[in-house]
Amino acid sequence: MENLGLVGLSRQMTLRRQMDVVANNIANINTVGFKAERMLFQEYLSPTAHEDNFVGRDRRVSFVQDRATMHDFAGGPVEPTKNPLDVAIDGNAFLEVQTPAGTRYTRDGSLQINNQGQLVTSSGFPVLGNNGPIVFQQTDHDINISQDGTVTVLEGTNRVDSVRSKIRMVQFASPQQLVKEGSNLYSAGPGANPQQSVTSKLNQGFIERSNVSSVTEMTRMIEVTRAYTELSNMLQSQGDSRRTAIEKLADVPA
Amino acid sequence: MRALYTAATGMAAQELNVQVISNNIANMRTTGYKKQRAAFQDLIYDHVRRVGAQASDQGTMIPVGVDIGGGVKTVGTPRLMGQGTLSITGNDLDVAIRGEGFFKIQMTDGTFTYTRDGSFSTDSQGRIVNAQGNLLQPTITIPTASSQLSINSAGQVSVIVPGTTTPTVLGTINLTRFINKAGLNPIGDNLFTETPASGPPQDGIANADGFGDMQQRNLEQANVEVVTEISDLIAAQRAYEMNAKVISAADQMLQSTSGMFR
Repeated sequence: MENLGLVGLSRQMTLRRQMDVVANNIANINTVGFKAERMLFQEYLSPTAHEDNFVGRDRRVSFVQDRATMHDFAGGPVEPTKNPLDVAIDGNAFLEVQTPAGTRYTRDGSLQINNQGQLVTSSGFPVLGNNGPIVFQQTDHDINISQDGTVTVLEGTNRVDSVRSKIRMVQFASPQQLVKEGSNLYSAGPGANPQQSVTSKLNQGFIERSNVSSVTEMTRMIEVTRAYTELSNMLQSQGDSRRTAIEKLADVPA
Repeated sequence: MRALYTAATGMAAQELNVQVISNNIANMRTTGYKKQRAAFQDLIYDHVRRVGAQASDQGTMIPVGVDIGGGVKTVGTPRLMGQGTLSITGNDLDVAIRGEGFFKIQMTDGTFTYTRDGSFSTDSQGRIVNAQGNLLQPTITIPTASSQLSINSAGQVSVIVPGTTTPTVLGTINLTRFINKAGLNPIGDNLFTETPASGPPQDGIANADGFGDMQQRNLEQANVEVVTEISDLIAAQRAYEMNAKVISAADQMLQSTSGMFR
């Protein structure tokens, strides 16, 4: 009898967390390069007593547990911006970003130039090229980023392209292990081994929008709220029947 | 209930998004206006189960963690410095820049500001000034009786002085470039000032060194595209609604919890 409440509670707790995940997806529907999250659940079987020579063996109760939030790495819609410093990644690669906490990875290709002439993300972290941060000179203009990441500029009066660097694009064997850090950044665990991506391409003048699908998220939200309400009703009716039982049993006939 | 606060960050972000879009639309007829866009990032995550943590005594590791995000934040409203379309006005002192560069304007306090708005006129002394009456740099004075004012693509200003038949060169309108023009600080009146993010100004001559060329009797329109702005506005409004729906759904969940106790 007591287990019913606990099992229901385990589900309600995971549903609340699933709601948090849905809320975060929806909040980031306009975040450049954002990847939606999906929650996975698993069954958790309660441990039983080691001695099983009781009359009527210990039965296992199954609870629910949130196992993981999967990153949905599907590509987001690509929007033309005509901004020469916007790049959208076509493929499963990430840009490498230098932060004070170490190298981080991002799909957010809305780039800027800072006062030192470095190519930076919108939070001001340098984007890494093959030889570290990509630096422009004061006289550079007409920045061109080719599909393989090569950054060329026209320099001063010189009408010939000079190569500044090549934007690094890396990919991971198991991208699910990347950890979201906020600020559109991912960090990779110690075991992760970023590989230079050869298949991914950069598209200059485009940005990748968030891949959050509003229909999916709304449907999931309805599902979550209905399941939660159902459980509440169930727990409530359980409480009611317990009360009825107590009232009836305690009702001493006169 | 975290979802309530997460959705609130989403609503705040969309509100700002609408503000930025409405300012773009309000300035769609402003000469030399450059559109802005709101840039968003996700907030920090709560790592409920960290990836790579030990899952069992046998040393197996959690392959994927449980990360719950806290919503969205605005990182900035970068300006898109793309070229606006040129429109012919026929006015002799209207100049549009096609390509890189800004006009340099001297303010009354002696500081310099920069603009793409080339609708100039002359003051009482015949000097070329912008719409607010501030001097274009370098100062060019147009003689009163002159005619056939011409500004060539390199910014050279020449007139026909009475009694002569060949044009007299009065001076050259210079252009100024910044390595990161998106980092300029807008101060209203179509003017920008230099910031540490924009880098120092570099003066130069139009039509050379990668500077754009000048088009006399033209003005540069705002680079706002109405279709894009309206579709962005619709998207922002719907996103706002969806965040509001999350709040009411989270509220419903809380309500059903509190309804359990009678």
